[in-house]
Amino acid sequence: MTDTELGLLLIHPAVTTEPELLAKAVEEAAASGVQIADQFLITKINDKSVTVENEKYDAIYYLTPEENDSIKFPVTLIPVLADALKSNGRLYGLPDTYRLDALINGFTTVSEGKYHWIKSPVPQAVPLKAKSLGGGAAKKLPSFKRASQPVQITQDVEDEYEDDTINTKDKTKFFTNLHTATELIDEEDLVINSNDPTGITMITCGKTKTRRKKACKDCTCGMKEQEQQEIDQVRNNQETIVKFSDQELTEIDFTIEGKKLGGCNSCSLGDAFRCSGCPYLGLPAFKPGQKINIGSILDDI
Amino acid sequence: MVKARISKRIAILYGSETGNAQDFAFILSHKLHRLHFAHTLSSLGDYNTLDILDCRHLFIICSTTGQGELPRNALEASHGNNRSSTLWSFLRRKDLPSDLLNHVSVSFLGLGDSSYPKFNYAIRKLHERIVNQLGAKEPYKRLEADEQCMLGSNKNTGAGIESVYFEFEKKALDNLCATYPTRKVNGEIIKREELPADVYLRPDSSLLIERDDNIQSNSVSFKGDEFVRVGSVERNQRITHAEHFQDVRQFIFKGAEAHEYGPGDTVSIFPCNTDQSVQQFLELQPHWKPVADKPLIFSDRAPSIEGGLVQPLTLRNLLKYHCDIMSIPRASFFKKVWTFATDMSRLERGLEQMNQQREKLQQFGADEDMQDLFDYCNRPRRSLLEVLQDFMSLRLPWEFALDFLPAIKPRYFSISSGPNCSSIELTVAIVRYKTILRKIRKGLCTDFIANLSPGDQLRYKIQNNHLFENEQLRDRPMILISPGVGIAPMMSLIRAEISNQIMLFFGNRFMEKDFLYKDLLQKWEETNRITLFSCFSRDRENSPEFKYVQDRLWAIGNTIARLLVEKDAIIYLCGSSGKMPTQVRITLLEILKKWGNFETDTAACDYLKLLEKNDRYLQETW
Repeated sequence: MTDTELGLLLIHPAVTTEPELLAKAVEEAAASGVQIADQFLITKINDKSVTVENEKYDAIYYLTPEENDSIKFPVTLIPVLADALKSNGRLYGLPDTYRLDALINGFTTVSEGKYHWIKSPVPQAVPLKAKSLGGGAAKKLPSFKRASQPVQITQDVEDEYEDDTINTKDKTKFFTNLHTATELIDEEDLVINSNDPTGITMITCGKTKTRRKKACKDCTCGMKEQEQQEIDQVRNNQETIVKFSDQELTEIDFTIEGKKLGGCNSCSLGDAFRCSGCPYLGLPAFKPGQKINIGSILDDI
Repeated sequence: MVKARISKRIAILYGSETGNAQDFAFILSHKLHRLHFAHTLSSLGDYNTLDILDCRHLFIICSTTGQGELPRNALEASHGNNRSSTLWSFLRRKDLPSDLLNHVSVSFLGLGDSSYPKFNYAIRKLHERIVNQLGAKEPYKRLEADEQCMLGSNKNTGAGIESVYFEFEKKALDNLCATYPTRKVNGEIIKREELPADVYLRPDSSLLIERDDNIQSNSVSFKGDEFVRVGSVERNQRITHAEHFQDVRQFIFKGAEAHEYGPGDTVSIFPCNTDQSVQQFLELQPHWKPVADKPLIFSDRAPSIEGGLVQPLTLRNLLKYHCDIMSIPRASFFKKVWTFATDMSRLERGLEQMNQQREKLQQFGADEDMQDLFDYCNRPRRSLLEVLQDFMSLRLPWEFALDFLPAIKPRYFSISSGPNCSSIELTVAIVRYKTILRKIRKGLCTDFIANLSPGDQLRYKIQNNHLFENEQLRDRPMILISPGVGIAPMMSLIRAEISNQIMLFFGNRFMEKDFLYKDLLQKWEETNRITLFSCFSRDRENSPEFKYVQDRLWAIGNTIARLLVEKDAIIYLCGSSGKMPTQVRITLLEILKKWGNFETDTAACDYLKLLEKNDRYLQETW
């Protein structure tokens, strides 16, 4: 036995003159196990003289005498209806022409049986109307202890510049025949090979005084060897931590617990936080005492 | 909905080789958005030329190629390779008036490396044309950054190129904020204030679930780039000895159609991530898993992606084909995602650790001294995926995936096959190396290529570079200099029989291990198709006299000088960048000084510069 589902019936003003249509709709809903709990004129909800509760209904029906293709639906109502529906709730009577608005507001379409929309249980894009993720979307969630913070996401309306006084209309004549080849100046004539610094802006303060030393590809000065030595050293250090053969392709469980962690308390946090010389350098971050996913660090064969 | 996020009034344009210029442009764009300045952000090549009429504030950030040219994405649009209607080709028209750009205020940042002779040439060319010849105004003099801090704006300061960028940024923002100190919101004039740092700025278009069902099919197609082709792999053969450290492939694929191409032309290949990497990403962002295979749509316009947008559109496919999760994350990535470090459920030390991670991520994005980011990411070549492993507090919203994840870009390879051959041959060195990170580092594209088998398909485009189309080349000697995989375009040149006299200077490490195309080259030598000068840098036994290609050049310096001065010879140099091209250049200069019969050393030096100017000294290094 299933509980009766709650339904909302929205009515186009023109339907009020045809009570038999209304009766038929209520009957059809009941036949599919939906009890129409409320019925409102769509205009009343739209002008906010009637408000609907959040997450109340399992199904919402829109009843209109209009032909399917010519149905006019107030788009601002779609997010309101989304809020009024329970998760997985159904919306009937919103035509496919409102597809994008429906999708934006977290509906997905179901085409089997009677055409309708479902309020998607999967997390959806933030509604465009919402100023922040912490607003509309999060409110609907049951209140359990949250392990994450909300992020502010903004759709910025940027400048629309005033018309300026410069008129470039008389220059458009030079832009004709863009695709036809014409005679070009020689690029080489444009450069005077001069490293004279008076023509350029010199920087006043360099924040990066430590130049990044990096060996050239075909280094001959010994820096490349030095870099290689550092790499070998780090890789050797790793050997003392991880003992696995390069041939092992299957995931092996291995636990870091018991291994010595440095007093710095940062070894497990990943390279971005490790000290130089840390034996864990070059290995991923891990939780002490937990298994490391070897697959993530194993060399491919 | 009224949106004014794209305005033609302000434009940031970049020309980028390695991605530095692009990332600085992204950072500047990010800053402008946070100050509510609507603007256009684009590569120079993709900019709509006509928009310059509506532009009042132009910011150009551009690097320079080894030859002193503008980078490819400054010269051509990312879709197709038509160069005739791009901004730069338009601006070089001879019939333009000297006040054409007097409505534009322009500022320049050049990125260069003074170990190359044509230091920051690209930005200087742009500057000369746009300001001095076409009348644009410069609110402050341009900045030129030098990787070596020997020249340019950071000369002798010991400060890195990012210091120069931040100086540029400061000047740019000061200038704009002084011009537009207020802004209008709903008709009301308010003070211009920066968005709070922890607010994420929603991109114009985000992802939405279209239907609540899962797409199981593995077959994909790509929509929106009519120039991309699908080829079929014919051969993928290692051509270095199995014991040699480097895996070099002779890689041949059948083109989708007949292509016209010649020596010096390139192929761009569109690689993708492995299913395994994608799965690892999803495991690290577990809330993405339930939606990974659901059909998606864009809330607004679909992005324009070079090579086309994958269909069906799912998160899994986007991660596999478009999001470069194996790349080394840049400062702009951290700038965008740090605010999503909100999840303490996976952290051992809860709130304290979350805040620590949050702070660190923010710092990676904001620090003007990019040293920590460099040490954490660039030096060990740490991938974005590995950063997510270390920062479990990051809970990324998949809706904005294309806003904060970097895009996979195609990689370019020189063609080795002869002209117009329907089977396109490449010579590919598979990139693999060790850093302090346990896992071997691989190049995304070469790893993708290494794993292809005959019959597999790949997406590609061909670029015609028009290097050797001059009919008069035939009777002129060609001096080809190519250590290692630099041989790739040389194979095409030799096969094209473009000249009757080809000298090939070819250097490798060991005769028996990495002498690429040894049999074929020796056969060509026997049949007098080429004169081969080989040398082996780590192989005393087989190469007792010569270590490097420049040693072999020097040994016949007199002949080389004669060919250059008397026979109009052409030099073509290819291979790894670094010291090699400089050393070869120095050697050639010394050869000209010693055997060129010039009155002074300066005259010899000028002659070498003339060779470069007249495209007789061509260089393709990477």
